Amino acid sequence: MLINNDLKTLDLTVGDVFSQNPRLKARNVSVFYGDNKAIDNVTIDIGNKEVISFIGPSGCGKSTFLRCFNRMNDTIDSCAVKGEITIDDENIYDKKIDVVPLRARIGMVFQKPNPFPKSIYDNVAYGPRIHGLSENKEHLDGIVEESLKRAGLWEEVIDRLDSPGTGLSGGQQQRLCIARAIAVSPEVILMDEPCSALDPIATAKIEELIHELGNDYSIVIVTHSMQQAARVSKKTAYFHLGKLIEVGRTKDIFTRPQHHQTEAYISGKIG
Amino acid sequence: MFSFYILVGILLISFVFFFLGKNQAKKVAYTNKKKLHSLIHYYGLYSLLSSLIPTLGIFFAITICDDLLFAELIKKYIPDEVVNSKDYNFTIVLAQINNSVEGLIFGTPPEWVANAAAIWKSWVLKSNTITMAVCTITIFIFGFFSLKKIQYEFRSRNAVEKIVTSILAVSSMIAILTTIAIIFSVVFESIRFFALIPYDEFLFGTIWNPQFEGADRAGSGQEGLSQYGAIPLFAGTFLISIIALCVSVPVGLFSAIYLSEYATSKERAFFKPLLEILAGIPTVVYGFFAALTVAPFLRSSGSIFGLNVASESALAAGLVMGIMIIPFISSLSDDVINAVPQSLRDAGYGLGSTKNETVMKIVLPAALPGVVASIILAVSRAVGETMIVVMAAGLAANLTANPLEAVTTVTSQIVTILVGDQEFESAKTLSAFALALTLIIITLAMNFYALHIVKKYREQYE
Amino acid sequence: MNNKIISPSDALDIVKKSIVKRRSRDNRLKLFGRIAIGLAVCFLLTLFYSIFTKGYPGFFQYYVTLDIKFDRERIDPKGDLSDNSLFDGEASKIVNESLYSIIQPKGRKERKIAKKIVSSGKDVRIAKMVKNNPSLFGTTAIVKFALDDDVDSFLRGYIKRETPENERRISDKAIQFIDKLNEEGRISYEFSDYILSGSASGNPEMAGIKGAFIGSMLTLSVCLLIAFPLGVATAVYLEEIAKKNRITEFIEVNINNLAAVPSVVFGIMGLAIFISIFGMPRSIPLVGGMVLALMTLPTIIISSRAAIRAVPPSVRDAAYGIGASKIQVIFHHVIPLAMPGMLTGTIIGMAQALGETAPLLMIGMVAFIVDVPNSVLDPGTVLPVQIFMWADFAERMFIQKTSAAIIVLLGFLISMNALAVYLRKKLERRW
Repeated sequence: MLINNDLKTLDLTVGDVFSQNPRLKARNVSVFYGDNKAIDNVTIDIGNKEVISFIGPSGCGKSTFLRCFNRMNDTIDSCAVKGEITIDDENIYDKKIDVVPLRARIGMVFQKPNPFPKSIYDNVAYGPRIHGLSENKEHLDGIVEESLKRAGLWEEVIDRLDSPGTGLSGGQQQRLCIARAIAVSPEVILMDEPCSALDPIATAKIEELIHELGNDYSIVIVTHSMQQAARVSKKTAYFHLGKLIEVGRTKDIFTRPQHHQTEAYISGKIG
Repeated sequence: MFSFYILVGILLISFVFFFLGKNQAKKVAYTNKKKLHSLIHYYGLYSLLSSLIPTLGIFFAITICDDLLFAELIKKYIPDEVVNSKDYNFTIVLAQINNSVEGLIFGTPPEWVANAAAIWKSWVLKSNTITMAVCTITIFIFGFFSLKKIQYEFRSRNAVEKIVTSILAVSSMIAILTTIAIIFSVVFESIRFFALIPYDEFLFGTIWNPQFEGADRAGSGQEGLSQYGAIPLFAGTFLISIIALCVSVPVGLFSAIYLSEYATSKERAFFKPLLEILAGIPTVVYGFFAALTVAPFLRSSGSIFGLNVASESALAAGLVMGIMIIPFISSLSDDVINAVPQSLRDAGYGLGSTKNETVMKIVLPAALPGVVASIILAVSRAVGETMIVVMAAGLAANLTANPLEAVTTVTSQIVTILVGDQEFESAKTLSAFALALTLIIITLAMNFYALHIVKKYREQYE
Repeated sequence: MNNKIISPSDALDIVKKSIVKRRSRDNRLKLFGRIAIGLAVCFLLTLFYSIFTKGYPGFFQYYVTLDIKFDRERIDPKGDLSDNSLFDGEASKIVNESLYSIIQPKGRKERKIAKKIVSSGKDVRIAKMVKNNPSLFGTTAIVKFALDDDVDSFLRGYIKRETPENERRISDKAIQFIDKLNEEGRISYEFSDYILSGSASGNPEMAGIKGAFIGSMLTLSVCLLIAFPLGVATAVYLEEIAKKNRITEFIEVNINNLAAVPSVVFGIMGLAIFISIFGMPRSIPLVGGMVLALMTLPTIIISSRAAIRAVPPSVRDAAYGIGASKIQVIFHHVIPLAMPGMLTGTIIGMAQALGETAPLLMIGMVAFIVDVPNSVLDPGTVLPVQIFMWADFAERMFIQKTSAAIIVLLGFLISMNALAVYLRKKLERRW
């Protein structure tokens, strides 16, 4: 009860929402499903080559917000986005903007591994093929190889590139999906609870991978696991009931949360 | 009519037993001064069911069997000279006698027919008396037996439930019985057909020209008159199905793609049922449309281009049949396209695919088995479709690939041969059963294959 | 690391360059989809349009108004209004005389032509009138008679005046007579009293769908009475009672097969089993209904099973929990809750049966039967078969009557399907 009453009086996000070297800037973003407000007036920067975690109780809108960055919400008819999100000072919700190049720039990895029912090779080569990124077969082979290497899967699949991607284990499938995203040369990778369907060992591998990829890409990861956020990200944002409550360095959020709601969540009072 | 009265009588008496059973139960409860195992009406129901069911069984057995028995017995009353005459056919003679029994007399029938009819009538009277007597005895024996069973220890609810369960079980056997009946009705006649006509002539012969000429064609040296090469029929069926597919596959598939991937939910809610109306229109209406609107239209537009379109052309029948099977392809494809998990589409869009790329490179390849299955099911519809081809494709057994000519199909030949008068023993009549057998085999094989594909496809995403 | 993966900015350039082409490809597919739907809708509209424009006039026909003197001596010579007496009467002659008095034909030949202008059903019409209302005798009344179908076609403009006499089905003299009647204002175009209440007839102007309609209803009743209980019983048995074993699996395979068997094959089965082996008469609605029942059985079973499966297990558990037996659970809870779904499936099956033609041809319901069937044991025909037979007749007027019959049939089918949709919407329960 107390928490809800407090929320009404709170409008500003605690902590530093701005970044010195921002890649994506979200300003006053609200998302509606019909009449339902799922995200309420959120402002945040995503820094360049930085890993940021979105945490919060389930249903708090963190995944919905994530999907705003590559306009995946477009596929839902009743969904409307207000406010603006800019990349290179261009509003991605501008009418002139085509989602195809946008999504090529901002890759996405989903909650459940979703390889195409094609061979491992074709899975990775799909993006470069549709976008025409490779000059010839050799170049394409190179892209596939390097993407798989960066996703840490190359050694495991080197001799079965032609077998179906759906035949891999769950963790391997998710790394295949990451390789698939890398192959189209994105700048930002959005990850929507990428480990929630995986066992602990596979999760550890993916987390390690995210950590490494953080050197080359901006990564936004939605997770319900605080430990995971702590392990992979430098920055963490806490969402509650569609609002961004607090943003800060991961270390600070977990050790010295400034907002009592964040504290309540961290200490396990809100699930 | 008499049977109807007996039936009503049986029902009434069994209802009487319902009340007798209830009374008996009340009496038992009263004398034992204890509550019975089951509710009182279960005892009534028990009496009703156990008197009704055996009686109904006997009644139907008698009604079905007596005609068969009479037909066998009447043979004695057909004079020898008739039996020995060259064009003797028992089915026709029997029909003559039956007509005479029912008072449908055309001209003056020969005396022996009138005699046989009189004898038949006397048998019917006798059989009616016997039926009534047997049914009455049965219903009372079983009824009173059931009353006797109603004692304090008797658990009538369990007994009634046992009876009901067996009734349900027997009903479910109807599906098997129907299948057996279908196989039985075509296989035996087909065997007789293949005894007259070698099967390789039927399967590989290229001239279809059936004539009524009695059953003894094989040895009669009349070859050349009648020919039973079914290739032109298969070819005609194939040609019309191909034309139908040329219409329905693109229209159905693109509609399904549009409705499942591009359309707004409002468009979908409006157009999907609209397309399904096409499946609800009776085939005879399509046939009429093909024969009276499409065929003349094709003929006149053909003549503009200097083409000679037959008034009954494969094209007209095929086009209209194509329209008819559009909803089969569109609904089934729509279902399988929708069964492709959203996560795959998300993956495609997440990588920056356009809708076109998502549909063509991800969704359709994944849905392909299902789409193929829906096309096979549609083909099996087209092959088995009758009225459109009867009304619009004609009867000329041309072996041609020209869609502007008239062709005939398996189903339209079956109808032509079996509608109206027929000699039961002739090769021509029997040929219809052989055609039906082929038709069943082809459609069932396609159906099996399609269901097999769909099953495998479903397993992939479950 | 050898950088095979091109840099994000290069990638963006490439993507942006090709985007116009990809978008146009995308729009092309969308357009194809729209065209496909447009075509399908277009087919549907053309079909309905052609049936309705042809069929609407079929509900109307041309009548001639004549003054008839109801002379009892001549119409009903025996004076007892019996069929025999009316048959012996001279009703036709009276009608003809009234006609002659208007158009004044000269000589036998002209009278013969004049006589043919009015449909040959005139005596039947007078007989019917006096039977219903004997007080007409002794009066002179204005009566409308249907015109012969060729005259009708001429008045509608299908037979052209300009066509040379020897090429048209109606003579110059007849045209002259018709003009005369028209001048007198005696010809009218009215709602046909034959199309809905008449039966099969070789004269198109007198043909109607009553017999076929009653036949359809009788056949459908038999079909419903057999298929509904059997279908529901089978569905209940397979879903609720039977254990999964070889036999039930075999039953399921059979049901699926039956759903795929072409309808004409069911007709052959009816012919071979019901007619040849059981010795039932041809052409009767009872056999027709039995054949259609077996044909619609799979539809009813499949939808009933789906309806039963949709009843949540919690309902069954609740009933078992208070000590109900299996049969009680089924009859008190499962069947009532699944009933809307079962009814929807049954209505759809019945609609399918109502439109079915081919199997009924096989069992001889294609005979030319003038009498309206009174019971399921009287020979009869059904609407779709009537449509099939009429479509084969050469007379121009039959095309309109056929289309009119199709409109009636489609009307019934649409209302049945609408009822099914309504039932589903109204009674659908979301668990």
